[in-house]
Amino acid sequence: MMFGMWDSTYFHIGPIPVDHLVVTQWAIVLVVALIAFFATRNMQTVPRGLQNVFEWALEWCHDFFTQLMDNKDVAKRFAPLLTCFFIFILFSNYSGLIPGAAVVAGFQPPTSNWNVTIIMACITVFAVHISGFQQKGFHHLGHFLSPTPMMLPLNILEEITHPLSLTVRLFGNVFGEEMVVAFLLYMVPFVIPAAIMGLGVLLGAIQAIVFTILSANYIATATNEGH
Amino acid sequence: MKRNRKNALILILTVIMVMGFATFCMASGDAEVVSAVPAPDGATPDFGNWHVMGWSAVNFLILLALLYKFGFGPVNAMMEQRTNTIESSLKHAEEVRVEVDQLMKETQANLAESRKEAQEILARANKAAEETKTEIVNKAQEEVSVMKARALNEIEAATQQARLELKDASVSLAIMAAEKVLGRAITEEDQRQMVKNFVDEAGDLLC
Repeated sequence: MMFGMWDSTYFHIGPIPVDHLVVTQWAIVLVVALIAFFATRNMQTVPRGLQNVFEWALEWCHDFFTQLMDNKDVAKRFAPLLTCFFIFILFSNYSGLIPGAAVVAGFQPPTSNWNVTIIMACITVFAVHISGFQQKGFHHLGHFLSPTPMMLPLNILEEITHPLSLTVRLFGNVFGEEMVVAFLLYMVPFVIPAAIMGLGVLLGAIQAIVFTILSANYIATATNEGH
Repeated sequence: MKRNRKNALILILTVIMVMGFATFCMASGDAEVVSAVPAPDGATPDFGNWHVMGWSAVNFLILLALLYKFGFGPVNAMMEQRTNTIESSLKHAEEVRVEVDQLMKETQANLAESRKEAQEILARANKAAEETKTEIVNKAQEEVSVMKARALNEIEAATQQARLELKDASVSLAIMAAEKVLGRAITEEDQRQMVKNFVDEAGDLLC
């Protein structure tokens, strides 16, 4: 066990090992699914309470991505995925602020591990290329030779750096914040880390927004006619 | 202003207390170590943990599927239903507006017609009244003329009657006077002749 982080197997399901942060992921999936279930269990034409908040959140995300991508059809197809990114990353980031995170076994913020964030980035890359092929067919591959075939190596490098930057940015910020809180807890285990945790609230939201905005931007660029 | 500042101060203190309590809980979470938390070694997690990657992908896709099932699906369906409801309401409102406009036009047309009819009725009544008045006046005038003519006739008849009576009386008076003057009886024929002459003269004088 490293400082405050279990980067190891917690238990096994048959031959498959389950890490601590996977258990946290299950909890996040369960919590989000329960919120969604209770919010949409008894839908009313005039929304009230949880349904109102839930609808407002989804609508806000949808409108936000539609404005960002500037293409209604693509936004309609990919807004759910991007909203899911946002919700999952936000809950993951905030799970590190709950008392007991990274201390209680089976409870570790998933985004503080880059094995998780690279999967998010890979899903983004898949979404980018799927949207590109959907929108432009095989002409989508032409962007590797754009504006001149000489740019091919740089374009390939760009394809690698996009997911890498997404991965490292999210992982680095959340892991760094966790580490700072852990160091402060070691040195002054009262009140002082609270200030950093307050910043952590801001940082968690900002990182979730940055990841989703960049993903939306990559998808919008791939589907853009001028690309 | 002062109250707001006081509230803000209380809020900040509360946040600090809660955060402090949270950190305290985090610090006391691991009871095995002597210090509140273990000393950090600063190592980053190993990259390339394929199990974590696999689980993350599966978990994310499960979350996406659950959100589709319980989130986006029902909310989109509800939005569509709401859009349809609003559209049908607007359409219905437009239909009602057109209907009301039509009814208003009809009502105004009916009102105008009623006014026209009322004026016609009034005009007819005035005309009838005028005719009745003229008729009554004419009838009265006719009756008056008839009555006047009858009165004149009666006066004429009475005058004639009076004239005859006066003639008879004058004849008798003249005879008596003649008898007295002559002292003798005159013949019937003389008498008549004389009287007649006299009466004629007298009548001419009288009339």
